[in-house]
Amino acid sequence: MKHLKPINRKAERLEQAAEDGRAEEVRVMQVVNGCTSTLDPGWEVDPFGGIAALCQPVEADLYGCADPCWWPAQVPDTQNTAPNWADAAPSGLRDWRSLQPIHRKK
Amino acid sequence: MKSRSLIAILSSLCLSAMIAASAQARDYLLTTTKPNTLHLVDVAARKVERSYVIPGEGSPLGMVVSPDGKVAYMTTNHWGSLVGIDLDSGKEVFRAGFSQGDIRSRNTFGLEISPDGKELFVMLSAARLGQGEYEVLDSHIAVYRADAGLDARPARILPVPRRTTSLFMSKDGSRLWALSWDLYTLDPADGRVLKVDKVINWDRTDRTPPDVFGNWLQHEQTGVYAGPYYTTRPDLDPKDPNASRTGMMTLDLTTGALTMAEFENTEAIMFSTVINPARRNETFSVYNTLTKTDLDTNTLVKRVKLPHTYYCLNVSADGREIYVGGTMNDIGIYSTETLERVGQIDLPGGNDMGGTWMRMVKRDP
Repeated sequence: MKHLKPINRKAERLEQAAEDGRAEEVRVMQVVNGCTSTLDPGWEVDPFGGIAALCQPVEADLYGCADPCWWPAQVPDTQNTAPNWADAAPSGLRDWRSLQPIHRKK
Repeated sequence: MKSRSLIAILSSLCLSAMIAASAQARDYLLTTTKPNTLHLVDVAARKVERSYVIPGEGSPLGMVVSPDGKVAYMTTNHWGSLVGIDLDSGKEVFRAGFSQGDIRSRNTFGLEISPDGKELFVMLSAARLGQGEYEVLDSHIAVYRADAGLDARPARILPVPRRTTSLFMSKDGSRLWALSWDLYTLDPADGRVLKVDKVINWDRTDRTPPDVFGNWLQHEQTGVYAGPYYTTRPDLDPKDPNASRTGMMTLDLTTGALTMAEFENTEAIMFSTVINPARRNETFSVYNTLTKTDLDTNTLVKRVKLPHTYYCLNVSADGREIYVGGTMNDIGIYSTETLERVGQIDLPGGNDMGGTWMRMVKRDP
């Protein structure tokens, strides 16, 4: 856990439980169901260290990233968390102005 | 005896008529756009023959087509349902919801139909939703009868290795391949592992474990799956252009033969590949470029830039044309000979295809 820092009480309890050997086995999910387990850097820089090999234009990749919850930090996940986020924007290139940030309901 | 002869003659005439009809059959391309719309495209005429509204929410992803070309089955409803649309009537004829109670299941990419069209194989990732946590459940394959109707329940559940992305059925229906970190040959009756072909766990010490990205099924014109893989040479400085290598994986769905061979230093990203049915040494791969390689010599033949990113592609039955699609709204048409762009079909509504698949089907006009 040296690279991860708990930022709330639940995370602190989880860390403590892991250190005490009390936590159940944690398995990385095979695919994403809720997006919290995804760590997949690569939307901002391509494998060559540049941007030419990213999707062109970025709007072309919008729903290839949102629908599978592929990059949940960069685009909302329309699979589980925000299923109707893009309803008003069926074309990313044409309709991107109608896309809005999402905020979790309390 | 007379009536038997008459029946025989009539049967012969009917058979002749069927053969005549199937001789007229031509290539159609099936794909989808947002929101939840299926398109049947006459690629030779460069036009959309018909569009279908899929009931309910969503944007389709995977698609398999019945062997008779009459029903398209698509994953939609935020990857939570499989829906079958009759291409003649336009009616919904199949629907299966994957989630039940507090267990949420999603189908991500792994989707296949048996060669006789009777069974559908759906790779599912499941999680039990608790009040403050998710409990990850075992991945599995739900097998549905294709005639199970609008409230389909799995006929059986098969175990499957985690991280499986693609499912492929053998041409004789006796084997089901699951492409995960390695390639697993499964018994489609009970999911028993019959064989494991090493992929990421290969024994090579002169290469790092290969990265395979097998998400799109588009093998119907050849019966051979093909897809790029990426690896590196640990003996070289990572900044050396020779350190990163790209290869092609193929899986023959008749024999089960798996091949992996490099053809270039990694100079381009490729998402998915098809093989030319007319010249089976030719592969075509797509992303920001369209790449042609030769499987006989393991060489790059030609690469051209595309006007924008495309995720998937398919090929005409005569091997003359490549169709690139996914992401935005157009299907680009390219010559397999020259990689020249020879046409374009814009899908109705101008809406995005996203991560959808493109499948080819033979139908009478």
